[in-house]
Amino acid sequence: MLALLFKNFIRSKGTKIGLIFLLLICFISLLIGQQFQEKQQNNIVEAVNYQKKHIARNAAFHKDEMGLLLYYIKFSLINKTLPINSLSIGQRDVNPSIQSVTIRGLEGQKYDSELNNPNNLLSGNIDFSFVLIYLFPLLIIVFSYNLVSEEKESGTWKIVATQSGNTFLYILKLFYIRILSLIALLTIVLFIAVLFLNIPFDKSLLTFYIIGFLYILFWFAICFFIVSLHKNSNFNAVILLTIWLFLIIILPATINTYIVNQYPIPEALELTVKQRNAYHEKWDMDKKITMDQFYDHYPQFAHYPLPNTEFSWLWYYAMQQAGDDDSVKQSQELENKLEQRNRASQLIAQFVPTLHAQIQLNEIAKADLGNQLLFLKETKQFHEKMRLYFYSKIFDNADVSKENWSKFKVETFNDSSETSFSKAFLPLLIFNLALIGLGWMNFRKSKNYFF
Amino acid sequence: MKSLHTEILIAKHLKNSVFKNTAVFIIMLFIGLILLYAVLSGWKNYTSQNKTSEKHQHESREDWLKNPDKNPHRMAHYGNFAFRKSTPLSVFEFGMEPFFGNAIFLEAHKQNTANFSEAGFSSSMLRFGEISIAMVLQILMPLLIFFLGFNAVAAERENGTLKLLLSQGISWKQLLMGKILGIVSVIMMLFIPTILILVFIWLLLQNFTISADETIKMFLFILFHFIYLIFFCAIAVLISASGKTPKKALISLIGIWLVFTIILPRTTQAIGAYIYEAPSKIQFQSNIEKDILKQGDSHNPNDLHYKAIKDSLLSTYKVDSVQKLPFNYSGFIMTEGEKISSKIYNEHLEKLLTVYEKQNSFSKAVSFIDPYIAIKNLSMGLSNTDYDSYIDFQKKAEAYRYNMAQKMNALQVKYISNIKPGPNDKPLTIGKEHWADIAEFHYEPKGITDVLKSEIISVISIILWIIMLFVFIRIAAKNLKAI
Repeated sequence: MLALLFKNFIRSKGTKIGLIFLLLICFISLLIGQQFQEKQQNNIVEAVNYQKKHIARNAAFHKDEMGLLLYYIKFSLINKTLPINSLSIGQRDVNPSIQSVTIRGLEGQKYDSELNNPNNLLSGNIDFSFVLIYLFPLLIIVFSYNLVSEEKESGTWKIVATQSGNTFLYILKLFYIRILSLIALLTIVLFIAVLFLNIPFDKSLLTFYIIGFLYILFWFAICFFIVSLHKNSNFNAVILLTIWLFLIIILPATINTYIVNQYPIPEALELTVKQRNAYHEKWDMDKKITMDQFYDHYPQFAHYPLPNTEFSWLWYYAMQQAGDDDSVKQSQELENKLEQRNRASQLIAQFVPTLHAQIQLNEIAKADLGNQLLFLKETKQFHEKMRLYFYSKIFDNADVSKENWSKFKVETFNDSSETSFSKAFLPLLIFNLALIGLGWMNFRKSKNYFF
Repeated sequence: MKSLHTEILIAKHLKNSVFKNTAVFIIMLFIGLILLYAVLSGWKNYTSQNKTSEKHQHESREDWLKNPDKNPHRMAHYGNFAFRKSTPLSVFEFGMEPFFGNAIFLEAHKQNTANFSEAGFSSSMLRFGEISIAMVLQILMPLLIFFLGFNAVAAERENGTLKLLLSQGISWKQLLMGKILGIVSVIMMLFIPTILILVFIWLLLQNFTISADETIKMFLFILFHFIYLIFFCAIAVLISASGKTPKKALISLIGIWLVFTIILPRTTQAIGAYIYEAPSKIQFQSNIEKDILKQGDSHNPNDLHYKAIKDSLLSTYKVDSVQKLPFNYSGFIMTEGEKISSKIYNEHLEKLLTVYEKQNSFSKAVSFIDPYIAIKNLSMGLSNTDYDSYIDFQKKAEAYRYNMAQKMNALQVKYISNIKPGPNDKPLTIGKEHWADIAEFHYEPKGITDVLKSEIISVISIILWIIMLFVFIRIAAKNLKAI
C-alpha cells in the first residue's frame, strides 16, 4: 500500500515540478555559498600578503623612529569562517570578517565597515538557509494542503475509508511519504554540500541537519493540524499561506522593528565623537594631565618620564590611549545594548519557529550577532596585546631593525562557543509535538465524521 | 453612460459579496493594524535618527569651532563628521537605509566608509525585512488583492452564473472592468485612509512648511503606488477569468506574487553579484596603495615624484634648501599628496561603483517584468533611500573632506613658517578664527529631477504596464470563453 501511495504521489506532475524546482534552487544556493566561501578565502590570502608587504615596506621607510612606524602599521585579525558558513551566510555579509587596526585609539577603528553594495544587502542572500526557511515550507504546503479534502471533494474519500481499515493510519501514511521525500531532498542537498563545499562531518553539521529536519517536520505538523480541521481545499490553501506569510514575513519583521526601537543605540555616534574629542583636546592641554592618566592606567610604564621636548611619542600614545579611556563609558554602553538586542532576539525567537531556525542556523555557522560581538571583544584584546608589546619599545625608541617584523602574522579568532542541543532543538520539538497532538485529537474527535 | 452603469453595478455586487465574508473583515483589520504599527515605528525611527544625527552634526560643528589656535594640519586630522539625515518620505519607505551607515568621519589623507549601519548592529532577524508602509503597500496589499480577487470571475464560472451574465448582454470587457473596479473600490477603503494619515504625518514632520520638491515627490509616491495596486487588481481579475476553477486561479496568483516579491528580487540581484564580483575592502585599499606608491608617496622621503617637485621648487626660487622657500614647504607637499591620493581613490571608487552598477543592472532590467522591483526602486528613489542617494551622500562627503583638507593645507602653506621649531619650542600655530572658513557640512538630498533621471527605467516600465493593462483587457475580452 505504501509503495502504491508513493508511486501515486511521485507520479503527479505538480510533485515532480515542485521537487525539481526546489532541488534547482538548492543547487543555486550552494553555488552562491561556494562563491561566498571563495571570496572569504581570497580575502584572507590578500590580508596575509598585504600585511607582510605593508609591514616590511613601512619598516624600511621609518627605520629611525619606532613611534612613527607604529603610527602607520596595521595588524589584522581574522574572524574564522567555517565551511558551514556557506550554507548560512547570516550577518557575515554586513560585518567584516577581517579587522585591521593600528595601535592608536581603538574605538575610532573598531566599527569600520566592509565595502558593500547596499542593493545586495537589501535583497539578501540566497543561501541554503534561505531556501530551507522560505521555500521548503511552500512546497510542504502545496504537497499537503488538500490531503483529505481533495478526496472528499472528488468523492473518493468514502471508498478510501471503507477499503482501508484505519483511515487515520492512511492519513499518516500520506504524510509519511511526503515527509520522507522532503527529508530525502534535505539529506541529498546537505550531502552534496559536504562534498562540494568541504564541510566536515562534525557536531555543527549534525546540529544543522537536525534543525533542518525538525523545521521541515514543523511545517508538516502545521499542515497536519490544518488538515485535521476537515475544511475544504480552498480554505486550507488560504489559511496555510496566511500562516506562512505570518511566520516568514510579518512576525519577524514586526519583532525586528520592535527590537530596533526598543534598544536604540545613539551611543554608536556618541562614542566616535567622544573618542575624537578626548584625544584631540589633549594636544592643547597640560601634558601632565594626560601623562598622569596614562600612568594610572598602566603603572608598569610609570618609570618612563616625559621627555623635555615639545613632542614625544610617549605623550602621543598616551593621548591616543586617553581617547579610548575617556570614551569607555559609551563603549561599554554600546556593547551592553548590542548584547541586549542579541538576548532579546534569541528569547523571542524561541516562540517563533521560523526565526528560531534562522537564528540557530546562523549561530551554528558563526554568522550571528553573538559571533560579531565576540569578534569585537577579541579585536579589543588583540589591539591591547599589540599595544602592550610595542609601548615599551616605542618609549625606549628601540631599534626598528632589531625587531623581527616577519613574526607579525595575521592572527585568527576562532569562536569556540558551543550551541547547546536543548536550546537548539527544544522549541521546535515542543511546537511539533503540540501541533501533532492537537491534530491527532481533532482526528479522534471527528472519527465518525469520516464516514 | 449606460455602459459605465453596468460596470458600476458589477463592482458594487462584488464589493457586497466580498464583505459577506468575515475573513475579509479580519484580514482588512489586521492589515490596518500593521499599517498603524508601521507608521508609529517609522515615525519613531525617523525622529530618533534625525535627532541624534542633528545633535551630533551640531555638536561636532561647535567642537570644530571651539578648537584653540593650532597648526592647520592638526585641524585637518581633527576632522569633521558627515551625518546623514533622513527625508520625510523615508518614514514610509526605509529602503536601503538600514544598510547605509549613518556617519562618515572625514579626515586628512583618509577616505572612510560610512559606519554604524542598523544592519551591522542587528541580529539575523533584519533579513526577514522590516515593517514599513511601503512594505505593506508593495508586498502585503497585492496579496490581499489576490485573496479578494481570485474567485472574481472563476467562481461565477464554477457556479454557472457567468453564462447567465454574458447572455444578458453584458460584454466581457464590461464584466472585467466591473470586477476590477469592484476590487479597486475595496482596496481603496484601506489605501485612502492610509494616504490621508501618510500626508498628515508627512506635513507634521515638516511643521506644515513643505517645499515644492518634497510635494512632487509625495504626489508621485502616492500616484505610483495607486497605479501599482490597480495593476494587481487587474491581474487578479484576468487570472481569475482565465482560470478554470477558483483553486487554480488562486494557486497561479500566489505563484505570481511569490515570484514578483520574493524570488525575482533576490535571484536577479544574486545573479548580478555572482557574475560581477566586487573587491573586498582589503583588496580595494591595497590596490589604491599600490597605485599611490607608483604615482608618488609623500610619506616616503626618497620618492622620485616628490624629489622632482623639491628640485624644481629649489631651482625656481633659486634657493638651496626648502627652509628658505617663501612658503611652507611641507604644506605644499601635503597639498600635492592629497591631490594624488584623492585622484587615485576616486578612480578606484568609480571602478568599484561601476561593478555595483553592473550588479544592479540585472534587477533594474527585470523591472520590466516585475512591477514590484520597479515600484520598490521608484519609491526608494522618491524617499531618497535608494542606492543612488547613498552614493550621492558618500561622494558629497568625500568632496567636503577633500576641500577641508586642502583648505587646511593652503592655510599651512600661507601662514606657517618654513623654519621648523626646535624640540623645545612651542609649535607653530595660526589663529582659531580661520576654523570658521570651513563651512558646515550640509547634505541636501537629490531633487526630483535627479531622482526621475536615475529611476527612468522604473518610470518607463510603469507606463508600459498601464498600456499593457489595456491591451491585456482587450485581448482577454476578445478571447475569453464562458465555459
